[in-house]
Amino acid sequence: MRQQSVPAAGNGDVIRLDGVTKTYQAGPPALADVSMSVAAGEVVAVMGPSGSGKSTLLNLIAGLDRPTAGTVTVAGRRIDTIGESALARFRARHVGIVFQFFNLLDDLTVEDNVLLPAQLAGASGKQARARAGELLARMGIEQHKNAYPARLSGGQRQRVAIARALVNSPELLLADEPTGALDTASGLQIGALLRELNADGQTLVLVTHDSALAGRYAARTVRLVDGQLAGAGVEVTV
Amino acid sequence: MNWLGAIRTATGGLLRHKMQAVVIGMVLLVSTASATLGFALLAASNAPFQHAFGAQRGADVTVTVNAARASSAELATTGRLAGVTAAAGPFAAATVQVQFGGQPFGPLTLAGRASPGGPVDDVVLNAGHWPDGPGQVVLDASPAPGGGGQGGGPQLGSTLSVTGVPGAPALVVVGFAISITNTADGWVAPGEIARLRVPGTPASAQMLYRFTSAGSYAQVRADAAEVTRALPPGTVTGAASWLAAEDATTGNGAIMEPFVVAFALIGLVMAVLIVGNVVSGAVVAGYHRIGVLKSIGLTPAQVVVVYLSRVGAPALAGCLAGVVAGNLLAVSVLQQSSAAYRVGSQQVPWWASVAAPAGMLALTALTALGPALRAGRLSAAEAIAAGRAPRAGRGYAAHRLAARLHLPRPVGLGLAAPFARPARTLVSLAAIAFGATAVIFAFGLHSSLSRAAASQTLSATVPVQIQVVGLGAGPQQWPDAAQDAAVTAALRAQPGTRHDVAVYQGQVKTPGIAQSVSAQAFGGDTSWIGYGIISGHWYNAPGEVDVNTAFLTQSGLAVGDTATVLTGTHPVTVRIAGEVFQPSGQPELFGSAQTLPGLATTVNLQEYYVGLRSGTSAAAYIQAVNARLGSRSPWGATGPEGGQFYQIASALIGLLALMVAVAAGLGVLNTVLMTTRDRVHDLGIFKALGMRPGQMLTMVVCWIAGPAVIAAMIAAPAAVALNTATLHAMASTAHTGIPASFTQVFPPSRLALLSLAALAIAAAGALLPAGWAARARPARALRAE
Repeated sequence: MRQQSVPAAGNGDVIRLDGVTKTYQAGPPALADVSMSVAAGEVVAVMGPSGSGKSTLLNLIAGLDRPTAGTVTVAGRRIDTIGESALARFRARHVGIVFQFFNLLDDLTVEDNVLLPAQLAGASGKQARARAGELLARMGIEQHKNAYPARLSGGQRQRVAIARALVNSPELLLADEPTGALDTASGLQIGALLRELNADGQTLVLVTHDSALAGRYAARTVRLVDGQLAGAGVEVTV
Repeated sequence: MNWLGAIRTATGGLLRHKMQAVVIGMVLLVSTASATLGFALLAASNAPFQHAFGAQRGADVTVTVNAARASSAELATTGRLAGVTAAAGPFAAATVQVQFGGQPFGPLTLAGRASPGGPVDDVVLNAGHWPDGPGQVVLDASPAPGGGGQGGGPQLGSTLSVTGVPGAPALVVVGFAISITNTADGWVAPGEIARLRVPGTPASAQMLYRFTSAGSYAQVRADAAEVTRALPPGTVTGAASWLAAEDATTGNGAIMEPFVVAFALIGLVMAVLIVGNVVSGAVVAGYHRIGVLKSIGLTPAQVVVVYLSRVGAPALAGCLAGVVAGNLLAVSVLQQSSAAYRVGSQQVPWWASVAAPAGMLALTALTALGPALRAGRLSAAEAIAAGRAPRAGRGYAAHRLAARLHLPRPVGLGLAAPFARPARTLVSLAAIAFGATAVIFAFGLHSSLSRAAASQTLSATVPVQIQVVGLGAGPQQWPDAAQDAAVTAALRAQPGTRHDVAVYQGQVKTPGIAQSVSAQAFGGDTSWIGYGIISGHWYNAPGEVDVNTAFLTQSGLAVGDTATVLTGTHPVTVRIAGEVFQPSGQPELFGSAQTLPGLATTVNLQEYYVGLRSGTSAAAYIQAVNARLGSRSPWGATGPEGGQFYQIASALIGLLALMVAVAAGLGVLNTVLMTTRDRVHDLGIFKALGMRPGQMLTMVVCWIAGPAVIAAMIAAPAAVALNTATLHAMASTAHTGIPASFTQVFPPSRLALLSLAALAIAAAGALLPAGWAARARPARALRAE
């Protein structure tokens, strides 16, 4: 394990957080004065115990929530200051999100789930369908495209979720405990899939409890404790 | 913790749902207000008459007989006929022409009675004393020809002179009385009638009867026929029904009753639907909570009480506010109605303020009981496991289909969503359908009443009327012939004059109708005037007349029949050419001056109707005519008058429709709100995947768009049918038929446009929760489950 005293930064950064604080109505800040950056093509794991602020950090990077203080720049754009519509449009085009519990829409087929972000972003139907087919094939679940999520295994569902996250070819893929709800074998398969994606140049931020997963796939690990980066500004790389 | 304490604690959390409480309260406010108003109008419509009719032993039938054809003994035997429960008479009677203050006071039917009391028609003496000698008369104080007993008419001590009788006998008014069934316009001492009879006319008398069955005009005619058969042929010359008196007494509130009842019923059904939906939604959304409550020891009964109490407080508040609103509405409507028609003070009965909220509360409790019992029966484990997601599999096919349609994705997602919760969707659909029905119905009824108003007041065809507004130079300061001629000259001098016709008005008598018939004779072409024709046609030949429905109903005659009209000079036989729309309990008759010469006299010249050329301003025309006539002329030009009832009714219809539409919108709001809460996590996912606020708003509004379209398709024909049925009910209450054109107020283009009300209600109800959903932060929505 090696420690860096200087955050990765530069013009090629996909993510840059400067002095980000997030406070909810009561209690201590969920994130306090966090600064970090992620370069294009990097895989960064965010680790920490429950309540350490991992999900809050992910939400801020994804534009799902806004910081109380500080700036968040993703894909070269300040997202903490733009309006909700622009933020949604930005999210659809530049950020893909994979959730621990998949968050698939139960009443849509696998294919319709994957197509949805493309349709919301206004992609042409033909192109979107072709891209979805390509992703489903890559994920090995093409044969399930007309099935409903409830009929799939956990691993298959997470593959659908990854396909959905990638359908708009985002610069950044965020994964929140992507193997947390899977058995070991499925978890390994999903991990391998993520590594393949990174090998193809996909920037990836993993939020995980699993140090093995982080160690196996991430080039760098950011550790959070009580809303602060471990060692205050020091990033930990496995 | 004691039994109630546990409930208090459990209820505390439930009361956080303020919006649902507001919805319940508002819906019950609307329903209770409508119900209170409906009860008040119902009571005001006929209760006073029924009460007085019973107390005064009103005559079911007043039979007029030729006293020369049957002896008093023969007449008395008819009191023992089968079906007769009481009889009085014979009382000598005569119809006389009377003048008061030198002006015609109309024909009066006078009866000779020694006392006001008796087994039938116990006349109530309001002022003065009963005639105890010759030359005295007691007048009927209810509205009578010339306004007897009212301001400007005869007072106690006034003298009436009987014309057409040798010596023009004078009658001093010694009292005022009321016969609930209008058996006569006045009463004199029995011996007086012979002196008042026009020489050469047969002696007449009246017999008054009460029958076991006299609830309809047909039954009354059958009763009269029984009496006719029992007497020598030609004895009975006429029979009048108590129903005519009831018709004349019935207030205009009664006419409004059908549509108030229609709105009240719509409000009632909506209240049931929405309250049921709210409580069911609360049960479904609160499955987890129910499970927790039961797991910590709440009994099924306590759970039921918790859920009932969730509805109880807002329902009670809504009902109480509804009673207040209903009373305010009813008082306002009754006051306006009383003021416009001088029918006396009418009050909201106390029982209306009790029955309406009590009924609505009972209904609400019954509606809420089903879902509450369901909550009580759920086991703790079932409830916790059930969660709040809709049953898996529901609506999947709809989503698949929507995905294949070339619709914007948020629209497709929104349109498919209602299939996940079909019961809730049906309730929303019903609420929108009822709301839209109310709105379309209100527009239609307003159009129909506008046509009725235009037909009754002639406002569309007779924009200018010339009426007596000052003192004339003739006898008793009535306009003289020169002043009348000046009016004609003034009208002819105006380039905007297209038509003008003199209108003579007076009271005539027709055998078979007890009360006086209000008659109008027109001195000129009237084909342009535009009375609404129910059947037949407007008169177009000498000897033809038109009559209103009350005339036909009370006389038993039909269009095409002939009738005898006593105009004061001589009897005229006329043919009834058509039935015109003139809603009134008072029989009315319209003919040309040529047909009714006895009526078309200078003293009866009441006004002129004026039709204008296209493009002529009525206001400018009125100003020009008045300038020409000068300030010293007794005549003056005015615009059309009347139609107060229609103004009151239209305002009330608008208010009720607005209230129902608001309730429907709240019902939609409630449904969308519940669905938004159910699907908050899905909404978070949509946002995380890049759904913009505008797209979210579109999707949520589209949740309700499909049901709204179906609701519109149901509401349009329902409103048309309701409008037709209500108009006929109102017409029936007003004792009139209606021209077919009054119900034909929904051309397809207008109906299509009005049907958009369903979409408007749905959109208005959905926009608020849709806005909340659109504004919610994705992270918060994803956390909220």
